Amino acid sequence: MAGIWVYADNPSLTLELLTAASSIAEGLKTGVAVILSHDRDRAQDYIDCGADEVFLLPPLSGDRSAGDYAPVIADAAREKKPDAILVAGTSGGKEIAARVAARLDTGLCGNCISMSVEGDSLVMDRFMYGGAAVQKVAFMAKPALATIPPRAYEPSRPTPGRQGKVEELPAPPISGIKVAGRRGREKRTEDISEAQVVVCAGRGFEKKEDLAMAREIADLLGGSVGCTRPVSEELHWLPEELCIGLSGIEVKPALYLGIGVSGQIQHVTGIRDAKIVSAVNKDENAPIFAVADMGIVGDLYEVLPKLISALKKAKG
Amino acid sequence: MREIVACFKWVIDEAYIRRGSGGDLDLSAVNYKISDYDRNAIEEAVRLKEKCGGSITAVTVGVPEATRGIKDALSRGADRAVFIADALFAGLEPSQTASVLSEAIRAGTQFDLILCGEGSSDLYAQQVGPRLAEKLGIPCICYVQKLDVEGDLLTAERRVEEGVEVVEAKLPALVTVLPDINTPRIPGVKDTLTASKKPVVTVTAAELKSIAEARLKTTGITAFRMERSCERFGTDDKEITRFVGALRKKGVI
Amino acid sequence: MDFKLTEEQELIRRNIREFALKHVEPIAAEIDENSRHPAELFAKLAEGDWMGMPIPQQYGGAGADYLTHIIAVEELSRSCSSTGFTVSIHVGIACMLLLLFGNEEQKKKYLVPMAKGKHLGAFVLTEPGAGTDVMAATTTAVLNGNDYVLNGTKTFISNGPIADTYIVFAWTDKSAGRKGMSCFIVPKGSPGLKPGEHFKKMGLRSSQTSEVVFKDCRIPKENIIGQPGQGMGIAMTGFDHGRVGIAAQCVGILQAALDESVKYSKERVQFGNPIARNQAIAWMIADMATDLAAARFLTYHAAWLKDQKQPFSKEASMAKLFGAEAAMRHTIKAVQIHGGYGYIKGQKVERLMRDAKIPEIYEGTSEAQRMVISGNVLR
Repeated sequence: MAGIWVYADNPSLTLELLTAASSIAEGLKTGVAVILSHDRDRAQDYIDCGADEVFLLPPLSGDRSAGDYAPVIADAAREKKPDAILVAGTSGGKEIAARVAARLDTGLCGNCISMSVEGDSLVMDRFMYGGAAVQKVAFMAKPALATIPPRAYEPSRPTPGRQGKVEELPAPPISGIKVAGRRGREKRTEDISEAQVVVCAGRGFEKKEDLAMAREIADLLGGSVGCTRPVSEELHWLPEELCIGLSGIEVKPALYLGIGVSGQIQHVTGIRDAKIVSAVNKDENAPIFAVADMGIVGDLYEVLPKLISALKKAKG
Repeated sequence: MREIVACFKWVIDEAYIRRGSGGDLDLSAVNYKISDYDRNAIEEAVRLKEKCGGSITAVTVGVPEATRGIKDALSRGADRAVFIADALFAGLEPSQTASVLSEAIRAGTQFDLILCGEGSSDLYAQQVGPRLAEKLGIPCICYVQKLDVEGDLLTAERRVEEGVEVVEAKLPALVTVLPDINTPRIPGVKDTLTASKKPVVTVTAAELKSIAEARLKTTGITAFRMERSCERFGTDDKEITRFVGALRKKGVI
Repeated sequence: MDFKLTEEQELIRRNIREFALKHVEPIAAEIDENSRHPAELFAKLAEGDWMGMPIPQQYGGAGADYLTHIIAVEELSRSCSSTGFTVSIHVGIACMLLLLFGNEEQKKKYLVPMAKGKHLGAFVLTEPGAGTDVMAATTTAVLNGNDYVLNGTKTFISNGPIADTYIVFAWTDKSAGRKGMSCFIVPKGSPGLKPGEHFKKMGLRSSQTSEVVFKDCRIPKENIIGQPGQGMGIAMTGFDHGRVGIAAQCVGILQAALDESVKYSKERVQFGNPIARNQAIAWMIADMATDLAAARFLTYHAAWLKDQKQPFSKEASMAKLFGAEAAMRHTIKAVQIHGGYGYIKGQKVERLMRDAKIPEIYEGTSEAQRMVISGNVLR
């Protein structure tokens, strides 16, 4: 019997959740099941990657949305009584997790940042107060539900020869929501979540044109440019896909360089997995320095030209 | 459109949270506010009312001190408020909040459309909206960036991983809104002064059938800390060169 | 004793702060540099009912108390002293005098559009030869048939070039001494009314100031406010209200000076440390914060007395005297803390220091305030 279920709306996130599930399955002495709506013909691949069971959701017609699966997942869980259901923390995943939790009258840890098994129960951490604090939660009912932010875990790799069961779940009932149309992202911008070097522009820049300096440094370092929320949301200098932080993108580069970034906690939580955090800010007391490995206290308009020429020199 | 319900939460303004000397959270000088995204929910209700008519009920669950939030919400354009207030409501977890809200709304609040923020600025659990929809048995559309209502048909653009999904639903329904759906207006003086003249229904814990047990228990709250020792560099050429050298030594460039 | 603002006052303070940060702060340096009256900003202020706050709703206002208006002037001045002052003159003096002394018809015709922010008011008393010495004024109003005919030259009139409604003081009977002055409403466009050009000033540059000349200026005789001879009393009441507004303007300036000084002294590093760690700087900031608190209490107390319908003339003078001198003293310190950068155009403290001088001069100089206060104390 598989006690830990995972559900994600795409293949790569499903593999990440398999890694997460495996990390607690042993402690809870149970197996792992994948609830699959995409890739229905590739159930065996997921079994190779750690699933003991695969529950297949019937495909939906184009005018229905993934949220319609909520009652099916809830009914299956009511019947099979898993210990935990991990859901990918995409917008669709977060909605479905909350609705399944409501139907099962159980607890849900949203945006879980770490989980462990204590005794025979799950304990999870999540951020609160915009990232200023970490909230530790325990579950008082079963199953324990959690949403896991994308890219928090490495995708699970296949171990050939694994065996598993495949089971079809029933079709979802008619819902009151009809999808009338879909649009892809209007502007495909670069994906900074995987960049090895991220140069982040903050409020310290005085005008949009000056971001060229951040861009030049990123180019010299072979990295990407991201920004803080005010730069994308208030000033609209960069698209929101480049906004780093709790409610934006979480990055984990080898090097993060924050320029004119004050270090508001909502932003800082999005860079916690960077290997090296460095910063340029004229305010010696800027919170960014408290979370940086290396800091230059100085006006970015004085520092950046020097930094650019030093980097050029270093490159030879 | 007939009746719009806008749910909101009165929360600690996280800008006032300081880290205590021992690394714990210092909440001694905090101020409170209507949770950021809930301001968008109220504004969207006002915008829809301006377009389609109807009336707006602002609903919140909280401790009695959250009464300041009631005036704030009413000054933002709600016509009346339901204040589900009790000292017992400190630290409710999302499943409890949703069940208290659903019970109070069922008991006496008309609704065709319920609007919530996508999440609260303190817990950001992003659950109360969808849970409430399930409790009430109505369609739920989350993470909406554009909303329109014609008669009893709602059209919403919601943000999904791949882009945007345009969905339709018959009222009654529940929608959670993203911050970019609108820019909440700043209440005028008259709005604020007339807020205290608008009707407020207060519901206490005793008037509810029961309060559900917590399904999720908070076992600890600690200040978030990144363990990094900041090495400082100056701004003269020598120091910048040293900075670049250090990056190179660490193998990140 | 209760030092707490009401929930409404707190909410309104937060709202006007948000408004100022969004709409005032970004243009403050530009309107100062260009001596420009930002009509678009005042249209937005009108939308939020900020232009007639303490005027009852039946006369187009918001029906708030005077203290709430004072808080708004403070928060606006914290971002832009000129904006705070223009609101103060318009609401605190022009609107208030019409409310207190105008008859029902005058209120309907003149106060309503003013309180709604559609018309801007001005207080027209000072003359080239008559500043603190009001009795030295020479402008006359002579009854001629159904009209009063005004002749004379007024100067340093705030909102002079742009006002829609002028509240004007002139002698109807010079021989009657203090009892010979009367107060009139002169609408824009009256024949013989000639507003002058905006003066180039040291500070408060976006507040529009000019001469206003009356040359056989004819207004209907029903435009007299109150009875003939009541002008001096009306003017003094205007000063009392206006001075609390100036005091609030100074509280806003002081708060801004403190905000800027705290921020800069924590950022600016000299000898390896932020300068805030130097006691010389830290003590300047301590004094600034202390005087700010004192100025705020004096100002709120004067406004509170007004709301309690108690005499507040002496307290208004004290609040203005203390606030103006503290604002001047501490904006000089704020520039000092900023060093060379503080002397450069575009730095907020540079503007604050220029703006802080005029409160020691207008609506009664500091010396005139001491006359009022000592007159009250030594009675």
